[in-house]
Amino acid sequence: MRTRRRNAVTVHLLVAAALLALSGCGERDSRRVINLWHQMRPEDRAVLAERIEVFERDHPGVAVRALYKETEELRSGLVSAVLADKGPEVIYGPSDVVGVYQAMGALADMSAWFTSAEEKAFDPRAVVRLPDRTDPARKDLVFLGDRFGNHLALVYNRRLIPRPPATTAELVELAKANTVDENGDGQSDRYGLVWNYTEPFFVIPFLTGYGAWIFEDEATTRREGRRDPQPTLDTPEAIAAYRFVAALRNEHRVLPRSADYETATALFRAGKAAMIIDGDWSWQNYLTTPGLDAAVALLPTVAETGLPMAPMVAPKGYSLTSFATGEQADEAMELILFLTGEETQRAFLAQQRILPSRLALRDDPLVTDDPVMALSVEQAERGRAMPTTVAMRAVWDAMRPPYQLMMAGQLDAAEASARMQHDALARIETITGQTTPDGSAFVVYALAAGALAALLAFLRRHFRAFGVDWRRNRLAYVLVLPSIVLIFLTVLYPLAYNIVLSFSNMSLTNLRDWEIVGLRNYASIATGGESQVFWQIFVKTLFWTAINVFFHVTIGVLLAVTLNGPVAGKSFYRVMLIIPWAVPAYITALTWRGMFDEQFGAVNQMIRGLSWMNGFLPDMLQLEPINWLGQATPAFAACIIANVWLGFPFMMVIALGGLQGIPAELYEAARIDRASRWQQFRMITLPMLKPVLVPAVTLGAVWTFNNLNVVWLVSNGGEPADQTHILVSYVYKAVFNLYQYGYGAALSMVLFFMLLTFSLLFLGKTRATEAVY
Amino acid sequence: MSEPKLLTAARHVVLLAFVAIALWPVLDVISISLRPGDQLRTAEWRLIPRDWTLDSYRELFTSQPFLRWLGNSLLVAAGVTATGVALASIGGYAFSRFRFVGRQAMMLSILTTQMFPATMLLLPLYIMIAKLGLVNTFLGLGIFYVSTALPFCIWQMKGFYDTIPRSLEEAARIDGCTPWQSFRRVILPLAVPGLVITALFSFMTAWSEYIVAAQILQDRDLFTLPLGLKSFQASMSTQWGLYAAASILVSVPVVVVFVLLSRYLVSGMTLGSVKE
Repeated sequence: MRTRRRNAVTVHLLVAAALLALSGCGERDSRRVINLWHQMRPEDRAVLAERIEVFERDHPGVAVRALYKETEELRSGLVSAVLADKGPEVIYGPSDVVGVYQAMGALADMSAWFTSAEEKAFDPRAVVRLPDRTDPARKDLVFLGDRFGNHLALVYNRRLIPRPPATTAELVELAKANTVDENGDGQSDRYGLVWNYTEPFFVIPFLTGYGAWIFEDEATTRREGRRDPQPTLDTPEAIAAYRFVAALRNEHRVLPRSADYETATALFRAGKAAMIIDGDWSWQNYLTTPGLDAAVALLPTVAETGLPMAPMVAPKGYSLTSFATGEQADEAMELILFLTGEETQRAFLAQQRILPSRLALRDDPLVTDDPVMALSVEQAERGRAMPTTVAMRAVWDAMRPPYQLMMAGQLDAAEASARMQHDALARIETITGQTTPDGSAFVVYALAAGALAALLAFLRRHFRAFGVDWRRNRLAYVLVLPSIVLIFLTVLYPLAYNIVLSFSNMSLTNLRDWEIVGLRNYASIATGGESQVFWQIFVKTLFWTAINVFFHVTIGVLLAVTLNGPVAGKSFYRVMLIIPWAVPAYITALTWRGMFDEQFGAVNQMIRGLSWMNGFLPDMLQLEPINWLGQATPAFAACIIANVWLGFPFMMVIALGGLQGIPAELYEAARIDRASRWQQFRMITLPMLKPVLVPAVTLGAVWTFNNLNVVWLVSNGGEPADQTHILVSYVYKAVFNLYQYGYGAALSMVLFFMLLTFSLLFLGKTRATEAVY
Repeated sequence: MSEPKLLTAARHVVLLAFVAIALWPVLDVISISLRPGDQLRTAEWRLIPRDWTLDSYRELFTSQPFLRWLGNSLLVAAGVTATGVALASIGGYAFSRFRFVGRQAMMLSILTTQMFPATMLLLPLYIMIAKLGLVNTFLGLGIFYVSTALPFCIWQMKGFYDTIPRSLEEAARIDGCTPWQSFRRVILPLAVPGLVITALFSFMTAWSEYIVAAQILQDRDLFTLPLGLKSFQASMSTQWGLYAAASILVSVPVVVVFVLLSRYLVSGMTLGSVKE
């Protein structure tokens, strides 16, 4: 008795020791730490590190810990930080998200540290003030830019265009002259103009050229007594701009039929497009492409209005967060002022040709002596600053689908812009609207009370049984206790939290002070405005799961049966075939994305390599390179191919294990009865594999249904235009794009119950439970 | 047992075809990792690119804290594997051999945890870890990894114990062993193939997880390998060469482990095997 307990205790001690060993790495130096989350390109990070070193030398008591975070990561990380009240003191990124950060209460007012004399040294668009959360009459200084970027200009091929167009009329003429059908097959082989027309960002210069803007001006907002500016996507000026843009493709036919960013770039680089509209990040690449004589010019002036086409410019810069208090805030602020200071900006300018936000540096010889830099400054000065309102993302999301449909010739300009405006207003309402508790809140409370009572009754009954059982099965309880505690600790609390959230109105503006509002989230899943999308994606998810699991199992069983026979090099094959399972999935998923690239990807390279077979193939099966990631169906197929590849080894191993358990006598008996190989497979192998495969299929289906990673990484978060989503990725995107945490929690509960029902039904029906329990 | 030559040939054809498919993406990554900086995106595919170079690998070790990340990953993965195996080996045994109150309920609820979309657990999980003061520690990360790997591991171990006849313990008991001794001396040694699979699974969980690590670890010096790899990526400019080289180096240990253990892989995996 005694040794038994002592031994069990020893195991627990060992486990505790192992866990403790993991924690032994938290030593810190005594300096005060300032955490900086930033979004700098790899090339810029070296400059940043250099400047931080200088800062630390001047401030011996301070250590700066810089950490790169992707856009989405920074945003979700900041949400978590607000909820846990623990986060970075300084953040760095583009200005268009500060409205969101301010709304969630993550930012602090920097006014106290920033003098108006200092302010004069900056481009005014780099200094962002937003209404205070509690007192909207007061303005907080929430963003201090150190650079400008992302502005579009016209890049042209000098061999085809001797002089860049000054007006849109000239632009159209030049584009027409350079759209040629060289081989006379009715399709153009060279286009006059191209840009990425999947993203509305690239259409902004046309809007501004026609005198339109995506939001009303500040004066109107104030006059109407609104808190946030309204979108103005369907004004007559905007419609005129869209009409012009659509005519370029559908009337003048100077644009290719479809172009995303990759296609546009590739066409221009190959000399198959005479002009391209592209941003400052790309110019250097074009100018240095061998065999291409490219130059950059200002965007032309619109002939009808006389206004220059003005791109959006986005300052990038620093914000102080609400997590910095007291002396730490002073030091964090010193860091911000140092990093936006003249010395630092000059370092970035000199080493990375980055457009500074300090006006004094615009006259620096580094700018004026470099024609591209000088043009960049001029184009940026014409540009309009990217809006910082919370609604910005909603507007992009609303513009995208109608704009794409219009460019495909399926919607006219007026209709498209009306749809954009309507959708944008609806989305903004979702983000900023506040829901209050309704009658169903009481239902929720009643349900909660009922559930609690049932749980207590259940526990009480079992507690007594447990008391009796404890004496008999003491060892069993000791053995399962640590696992159960650990699993429940990390799953039960988050699960309970999620259940509560699913009845709440938690969203961007009330991250901390949300309340239970009732069953509304569930109701809107079933019947609300988004429900049509939901059921559509639900059906797609069923296809996704069924197709994947089908191929996993078929390929897995096929390979297992093949391997199980007398075949030389068995262990070699087995090891090779396990590789898709062994290599971490996030690596292979991204690799597949690269392989599906239309131009540089290995898949299309192989298709091109096999095109000699076209002569032997019927018309239906001609091998043509496919634009995998740019169209909805091929993109979804690409996700499935990648996931099938990832999943078949697991099923193969399971099936191999099952095959080894089938007694050889069965096959011998079958041979005596002269059963064919196929009959043996049908009558012996498959039925004997079933008990092994059923639980594996269940688990596989659950994993596939819930597999966010592959879809997310291969389709880059649902591209094109959110058409490749399965339910989990849709929930993920819906929650984080529109900040509907309550709605998202309800959605994930629905997913959870779907899977639970499926598993119980499937396992019950196939009676596999007998084997598993 | 002999079979027609044609059938053997067919087996080889099928196997070779799938080996090619299985290796294709891996070869692609190897090829990228060997390319010199100006050829990263090229329309012409060669396994060994023209002017191939090991620069990416060199840079990884000289100017990036790759070894540090490797050490972190090894530490976390080792801790998680040890804890996961220890807990699953005893927990699975209890579920296999004892009929105690709440057994069914516990087993079912362990399985149920697999059905919840993990991304939705992130936010509350982070809050919990922050409240416990475990942000930026390997302990916080380790606890989460162990508890995500455990459900599968426990089921897997239970399945394996189910295949070991009970008569062995009964014999041991007659020889005077306590229940713990009969488990420790008789059953556990027989369960090695199952333990190996459990270890492999725990190791993989910790070795390749990225999303939770990105939430919990906020210091570049504490990064695990997936996080380090991810930091080579940025929206407009990814350092593909470094990324590919690091991918290869991250994958090699796992592949080696798989190769070494492939003997156990088939015999140890008993998900749903028929018991007794």
